[in-house]
Amino acid sequence: MTEADEHMDFDLEIEPEDEGEEALETELGDPCLVVDDLHVVYRVIGGRAKKEAEKQGAEIREVKVKVPFYKRLLQAGRKHVGAVSEVHAVRGVSFTVRHGESVGIVGINGSGKSTMLRAIAGLMPPRSGSVHVSGEPSLLGVNAALMPQLSGERNIMIGGLALGLTPKQVEEKFDEVVEFAGIGDFVYLPMKTYSSGMGARLRFAISSAASPDILMIDEALATGDAAFKERSKARIEEVRAKAGTVFLVSHSISTIEAMCTRVLWMHQGKLVMDGPVHEVADAYKKFIRAQKPGMGPARRRALQRKRAAEEAVRKKAEEAEQRLAEAERKAQEAERKAEEAERRAQEAAAQGTAS
Amino acid sequence: MVSGSAPDQIGISRTVSTPTTDAAAPAGAAASGSAKTPPPPLVPSTTSAERLALAKKYGLRPLNVRPPLGEYIRDLVGRWAFIRVLATSTAYARNQNNYLGQLWAVLNPILNAAVYVLIFGVLLKLSRDVDNSIAFIVIGVFMYRFVEASVTGGAKSISGKTQLLRSLHFPRAVLPISTVLSLLTTLIPAIVVMCAITLLSGFLPTYEMIHVTWWWLLLPAAVALMWIFNTGLAFIMARFVASTPDIENVLPFVMRVVMYASGVIFPVVSYVERLEIPEASKAVVGGVLEYQPVAVYLYLVRSVLMQEEEMFPHSGLMWVLGAVWAVVFFVIGFVVFWRGEERYGRD
Repeated sequence: MTEADEHMDFDLEIEPEDEGEEALETELGDPCLVVDDLHVVYRVIGGRAKKEAEKQGAEIREVKVKVPFYKRLLQAGRKHVGAVSEVHAVRGVSFTVRHGESVGIVGINGSGKSTMLRAIAGLMPPRSGSVHVSGEPSLLGVNAALMPQLSGERNIMIGGLALGLTPKQVEEKFDEVVEFAGIGDFVYLPMKTYSSGMGARLRFAISSAASPDILMIDEALATGDAAFKERSKARIEEVRAKAGTVFLVSHSISTIEAMCTRVLWMHQGKLVMDGPVHEVADAYKKFIRAQKPGMGPARRRALQRKRAAEEAVRKKAEEAEQRLAEAERKAQEAERKAEEAERRAQEAAAQGTAS
Repeated sequence: MVSGSAPDQIGISRTVSTPTTDAAAPAGAAASGSAKTPPPPLVPSTTSAERLALAKKYGLRPLNVRPPLGEYIRDLVGRWAFIRVLATSTAYARNQNNYLGQLWAVLNPILNAAVYVLIFGVLLKLSRDVDNSIAFIVIGVFMYRFVEASVTGGAKSISGKTQLLRSLHFPRAVLPISTVLSLLTTLIPAIVVMCAITLLSGFLPTYEMIHVTWWWLLLPAAVALMWIFNTGLAFIMARFVASTPDIENVLPFVMRVVMYASGVIFPVVSYVERLEIPEASKAVVGGVLEYQPVAVYLYLVRSVLMQEEEMFPHSGLMWVLGAVWAVVFFVIGFVVFWRGEERYGRD
């Protein structure tokens, strides 16, 4: 553990295999996605949502309805009965994306990244504002719902059909999907028997098989190993080469740096930065490092323990050294005494012979 | 690759040539960044109208907008393979966690019917007006389960699949349709068992004999009408439960009332005649109970399978009514569902 490691917070993961990788520059085409003043508000039904989510910095308010007195009387237990909160997750975001771009979205937890991605995929209806796209966006989430009781084979069929392929097209792509996911004969077992990495790989393989115009990836690459990352990077480049666009939400800033050409930084539901990958990534890293004092108490205690242990080891070593020196001194003294005694004995003997 | 920040790059023609960003200079913010706080929110360099014009110029299509009805239907028809695979897969997955597996699709209604036959047919003798009460109750229970399961399944078909709705893009009507279709696929083996029990019950003493006749060929038609009707119900339930999840808690009670009011286990119409209310209201109550859709479908299936029963003569009126109810519910249900299309998956 070096000093630099201690500064790393949970939000800034660096994956060694991504170091030094960079996304290929591709020629940019016409705009393919226009987001205009997007606001997404979702309802949370249930009482405790407000407090919990507010801690994360999200803006939440109770739905205000004019309630007559008798109704308020009836709704005395409103906190637990029929409470509805609203989470204003995305608050006015506008941007334009072109064909062939690969866009990363960064931001701390709860900043509205995933919600925005869903909204621009057309999967979460916005409160106001609009999203315009060319082609069909396809979102790949960590928990994209496939059926865990059924075999991977069946899931490939369901996923492919849901993406708009015909059964024949799915059969044609079947081998390619299995190979890309690298799950081998596991494809004939129910998906609930898969490891989380295998599940994520299969989902990625399925949703990118349809070669979508706009591919959106939400934290889905986190579970893969290095080889899989290499393959998914190649797949992303492929989508971009076909004039497709890629969106990537990830906590690993190095993954973003390795796979994106442009980065959007979201904070509390708003876009705070939008630019070339290195510029934004550097600013974001700086921001995250500055959050260091926010280190959790457990982490601080652990650090203290570690320091104490180091101290103890050093003390012990010093003591041992001292003892060693002491012993050496004693040994020298003893030698000296012995020498003296010998000398005295010689003197005595000399005196003896003299007299 | 430096972001275009000059104000003269706002225009549409210039925007095409701007590199990665259309937002106002982030570079300055990055440089000056007091690292502790994030930079202030960006003010976009284009106005809303300009962005909309840009979208229009490049022929981009707005998302989250309900498609016109005709286009929606075409899209839906194109997804028939998806509906079919989803239906058979869910039907298969439903019983996959049991040792007896798919056998439960048949065992479950048999046990259900056995309970009702024992309590209402043998102990309480509520169906004493019927000559073969076993056949009467078994047909009622098996067919009513189809309606009940369609309503509860349709109710959950949207609200229970939020994750799927938030991951994939397809006409949402796929979900209620495939839910009812999956129930139909599990119903088919159950119907075979139902026919077998009905036939065998005739061999018991004091129960009337049941014969296989050409009329039995009409059974698929009756089931098909029911299927269309159930799909309509599932559409309506899906829409309302998606916006108000509380309805789901009330459904079991409503479905139980409908069960007793539809003559599933005893001929409810003959009980109305014994009520002590004025003749006029008796006629109204009796008419409603007799011609409401669930009662009509039960009548159709019973009239097909139990010809010896004088209570269920073949009736052209009932067939017409069955068809009318099916079409009316399906069309209304579909339109009701379509009108909520852009809102599913919000909560």
